[in-house]
Amino acid sequence: MDSAQADIRAAREHLDAQGWIARRSEAFHHLPPPALPDWLAAHDDAPPLDEPGWTLKQGASSVQARWLDAHDPAQRAELLAGLPRPGAAGEGEAAPFAWAHRGLCREGLRLHVAATPQREPVCLQLHHQPRARAEAPLLVLDVAPGAHCVLIETHEADTDRPTVAQNLHAHIRLGQGARLQHLRIAAPQPGDRVAHHLHVQLAAGADYAQALVATGSGYHLQRSHITLQGAGASARQAALLLLGGGQIDQQTYTDLQAVQCASQVETLALAQGRAHAVANAHTRIAPGCDGASVRQRLAGVPLAGHPRLILRPHLEILHDDVQAAHGATWGALPEDALFYARQRGLDEAAARALVIEGMAHALLERCLGPGDGLLAQWLQGGWLARAIAGQLQPREEIHHG
Amino acid sequence: MTHTPQPLLQVRDLRVRVGERTVLQSVSLDVPSGALVVLMGANGSGKSTLGMALAGHPSYQVDGGQALLGGQDLLPLPAHERARAGLFVSFQSPPDVPGVKNNLFLRTALNAVHEARGQPPLDAFDFLAGARQTAKELGLPEALLGRPVNEGFSGGERKRNELLQLALLQPRLALLDEIDSGMDVDGVRAVVALVQRLRAQGTAFIVVSHYLTMIEQLQPDAVLRLDQGRIAETGGVELARRIARTGFARQAETAEA
Repeated sequence: MDSAQADIRAAREHLDAQGWIARRSEAFHHLPPPALPDWLAAHDDAPPLDEPGWTLKQGASSVQARWLDAHDPAQRAELLAGLPRPGAAGEGEAAPFAWAHRGLCREGLRLHVAATPQREPVCLQLHHQPRARAEAPLLVLDVAPGAHCVLIETHEADTDRPTVAQNLHAHIRLGQGARLQHLRIAAPQPGDRVAHHLHVQLAAGADYAQALVATGSGYHLQRSHITLQGAGASARQAALLLLGGGQIDQQTYTDLQAVQCASQVETLALAQGRAHAVANAHTRIAPGCDGASVRQRLAGVPLAGHPRLILRPHLEILHDDVQAAHGATWGALPEDALFYARQRGLDEAAARALVIEGMAHALLERCLGPGDGLLAQWLQGGWLARAIAGQLQPREEIHHG
Repeated sequence: MTHTPQPLLQVRDLRVRVGERTVLQSVSLDVPSGALVVLMGANGSGKSTLGMALAGHPSYQVDGGQALLGGQDLLPLPAHERARAGLFVSFQSPPDVPGVKNNLFLRTALNAVHEARGQPPLDAFDFLAGARQTAKELGLPEALLGRPVNEGFSGGERKRNELLQLALLQPRLALLDEIDSGMDVDGVRAVVALVQRLRAQGTAFIVVSHYLTMIEQLQPDAVLRLDQGRIAETGGVELARRIARTGFARQAETAEA
């Protein structure tokens, strides 16, 4: 048995001994994940990788990309180099997902983005295509001190493929003064079981903005753990959840560990039918974090039918000299804007789509900043409008009581 | 108001309720094509209610009466079909539409109306050229075309933005609800110039205003005074001058006597 096989076996033995996520788990009790066998099913007879799941579009010399086979001992060692052991990255109750990932991971991509002389942004487009019925892809992204990276990461449903169980982990590390604008699209098939785990670490003065657009599926977890380790680091996360059906569990854990750090978390969940969405925001300010600033804003808009929207803002503040605000609101689409659009000639469906798309754009722009370049190009490309039309077509009215 | 034998807008005994309160008791008026009627009245007399009721706002319940536009009964139509039939109502407080760029909003609206009229849609390039030129004529900074609708606009910019929509949509009938409030002198001039141009093309206007200077410049065909949900008095521009001199309270007393 080589070291890769030994590592895989050790992870599986750990899971056998410790078990899967408990039904009573605080983090997962609203939407418990499928049982462990779903996330490990295909390992023993996993086919060789004909082509990688990750594809990267970029032309910058400042980017190093390495596709690595996790069944090859040397490549596995390179792939996992510098990453924390499962359970040691602050996963908390999600640690079994990390062990399951080690027990199944077949391939990964390591990216390193260096700073450019003029600090102009390095633009990357990264797409992941599932390659197995159960899989555990890995992404490791290092953004060097002073570098500025714009990353669009897409996971879009391909209707021709069978449903998958995907336990994806990404480790993102920003060096001192580095900046990453990260747009993530996660639109699985209705029957897919998807769990994406992002572990983000920020050094002093680093700035991270993640805008997520996610749609529902059979099981869909989007979990980010963002650690602001250095003074003056800042993180913004915006999540747009579009659910015509299915479910999604969005969990954001932000850990402020240094002075003058700032964090913003904003979620907008638009749902209809029998969709079920849970948005958790948990922000912790460690002792000694002078001048830290945190803000959480969670909003849910039921559009039609009987969707369940659960919003859970949570602050844990262990220092006095901080600014903090949080809130959760459930509401409707702005009636005055809808009527205004209709008075200008738009029918009800068109007015509704326009207003929803506007709310979505506003959310993403608050996170990523005013659009230009690659992000603006993507946002104007029509995907969002199509996703809104596909997920949130007008249906029956909401019934109360 | 004798431009055409058949008025473009015919309102008869319109009765409108907002919640439990009947705001319009019985309103009747005619507006021919190309004509301009000024509607005056004290606060709460029902001027804005008339506009919102004609536009089909769901909070304004029509309990009786009739409103025909070009012979077509407006009241059974949903709001967007009234707009496509040629009714434009400028809002006293135009709302924000967060995240929707002004030029996208305008082009979407314009193409919806074009489609209803059987006209081909405008592509983004053609639309933008026309919108920029019109915005310039109205004194609306071009940068506002690329910003979300009304978000962060001043009061005057919001009103100019209403004028931009009016100019591009070219309705058959426009009801302008205090379009001059928040406007500077140049803005009022822009209102007058645009109204005159559209009137010449056949657009009819109902203008709600309290300010004599603009009313005189608009050269209305008729001035109506609305009081307690009814048309209490009809006249020419001299009625507006009298109201400006003596106020609405005095006018009401005179009418009762």
